[in-house]
Amino acid sequence: MIKRGFFALVTIFVAITINFFLFRVLPGNAVTDLSRVPHASPALRHALLTEFGLDKPKWEQYLIYLNNLAHGNMGISFANQQPVSHLLLADLKNTIPMVTLGTVTAIVLGVFTGVLSAWRRGSAPDHASTNLAISAYAFPTQWLGLMLLILFAGTLPAGGMSDPFLFTAEPFWQHLADVGKHMILPAVTLMLTTYGSFTLVTRSSMLETLGEDYVLTARAKGLPARRIVWRHAVRNALLPVVTLIALELGFIVGGAVLVEVIFSWPGIGLAMYSAIGQRDYPMLQGGFLILTVSVILLNFLADLLYFRLDPRITA
Amino acid sequence: MSLLEVSDLHVWFDLPQGQQVHAVQGVSFALDPGERFGLVGESGCGKTTTILAMMGLLPPSATVSGAVRIDGQDVLAGGEDSARGYRWKDIAMVFQGAMNALNPVKKVGWQIAEPMAFHGVATGAAARRRAGELLELVGIPAAAGERYPHEFSGGMRQRASIAMALACQPRILLADEPTTALDVMVQAQILDLLTRLSSELGLALVLVTHDLPVVAQTCGRAAVMYAGEIAEAGPMETLFHAPRHPYTRLLFAATPDLYGDEEVVSIGGAPPRLDRPMTGCPFQPRCDVVLDRCAGQHPALRLVGAGHEAACHHTEDQAQDRTERVGST
Repeated sequence: MIKRGFFALVTIFVAITINFFLFRVLPGNAVTDLSRVPHASPALRHALLTEFGLDKPKWEQYLIYLNNLAHGNMGISFANQQPVSHLLLADLKNTIPMVTLGTVTAIVLGVFTGVLSAWRRGSAPDHASTNLAISAYAFPTQWLGLMLLILFAGTLPAGGMSDPFLFTAEPFWQHLADVGKHMILPAVTLMLTTYGSFTLVTRSSMLETLGEDYVLTARAKGLPARRIVWRHAVRNALLPVVTLIALELGFIVGGAVLVEVIFSWPGIGLAMYSAIGQRDYPMLQGGFLILTVSVILLNFLADLLYFRLDPRITA
Repeated sequence: MSLLEVSDLHVWFDLPQGQQVHAVQGVSFALDPGERFGLVGESGCGKTTTILAMMGLLPPSATVSGAVRIDGQDVLAGGEDSARGYRWKDIAMVFQGAMNALNPVKKVGWQIAEPMAFHGVATGAAARRRAGELLELVGIPAAAGERYPHEFSGGMRQRASIAMALACQPRILLADEPTTALDVMVQAQILDLLTRLSSELGLALVLVTHDLPVVAQTCGRAAVMYAGEIAEAGPMETLFHAPRHPYTRLLFAATPDLYGDEEVVSIGGAPPRLDRPMTGCPFQPRCDVVLDRCAGQHPALRLVGAGHEAACHHTEDQAQDRTERVGST
């Protein structure tokens, strides 16, 4: 357990390092872009270089970067001169509820349909559910998002996170309802594009588990079918699903870029998308950092969950 | 009335190509309390299918006909819901390879106590206490119930699954190759345990195995199955010393004897395919004493002695010879 935690930390450190150098090996540097203004002089260029510390040798920049990170300082955004950490924190606060809603419903729906499919293998509902899951899985996020946008643009808010005309004096719950309404389309898009894989993995894992001897034992014990499925089979079948969930969750924080761009959801994905357009390196670097760290942490959490779910795994 | 009565049990399996395999073909036997009965035969002869059918545990691709009566009541007649009430309460089972028969993510004690609530035997703390007592009964400390199956040795797992089978005080215990995956020492201990339990608790035991010495050591009576049918059934002594079916005789000859210097003779050929109708005796292609009518005429299981039945045309001959001899003198 401690070993795994240690490895997670090492991985995060490696990711930070790669992140740092990745942006330095890109052709050109941030200053060439920033100094591309009328009447830019070599003096301005130089001033900018010193301001961002880019005149120092790479290893020194790296140490400074690490030192800053350790103090929670992720630099200043080129685009609006705000601290990156504040910006990203605000974005993350917007992303997390939407992504959580979409993913949790996808997991619940996926596991549920997968279990029922396997239980009633070969039946019409099984075929319907499996085909639907494959189609949903195959649809590109942007296409599905745009389709939902076209279909529901009139009934549900099509973009943004809240109604700008709702005044702050309104009661709190009305704001909450407003945000909730805005959240439906992006969350549903996210859910639809991810639930399919949960269904398919759960189904195949369940089919394998239902053929196990201990399921026959459970039947021989005279237990009701529902108990056999949920208490004996699902518990074992969920083990591979947990791995998928961890992988998918990390992926989703990044994959939410598409959804957030389509629905103008002011989250971390949209922030990174605009940072690319503006060559806002500190912002991008910060966004990447958050993505990598969240993938690693979620995998670590999945490992911890595994310990709880499967007694055969010991540290 | 016997405690357990299986009569004319047939099982067909549907194959994906639309064919059917007639896996069990009219098996009948009866058991009294405390009796130990062996069901012997080579792989694929239908022994496991027979006992799974008795519990109604075959997959939906199987069609079952015949009756399985406990105290005269047909277990299978009422469908799945009624069969579920008999399972574990009246008729329990110890599975082959106890490794996989236990759920890997549940504590052993929990798994033993689980069926008690469903059959109204005990709940909560009482069920847990009873699970501990059952573990003690099969020679495992009660505290081990708090452990997971993978923390048990193979022999302990098999003991635990026997304890689990006893959870609801069944009167009939079906054991499917309970010792196959175990080494010889542990095998002997498990057989002793089963023998002791059947005597002490009055359990009727059906022991399914391909291992003749195991049956000889444990059971008073046995049936030898071949190609889905009972070829010969009777008291163990009689089967051993005076078999009337060539298959029984050859099966014993194919079993190595530690003390004897007789050579082990294997039976040539393979069992017939069960997906096409059979004419004649199923053992005829491998038999060493074939008669003319064996190829065309199916021998019926007939009584050849006290509690001794065999399905072989030779037994008719001897019966006939006797009547002929009686007639001529």
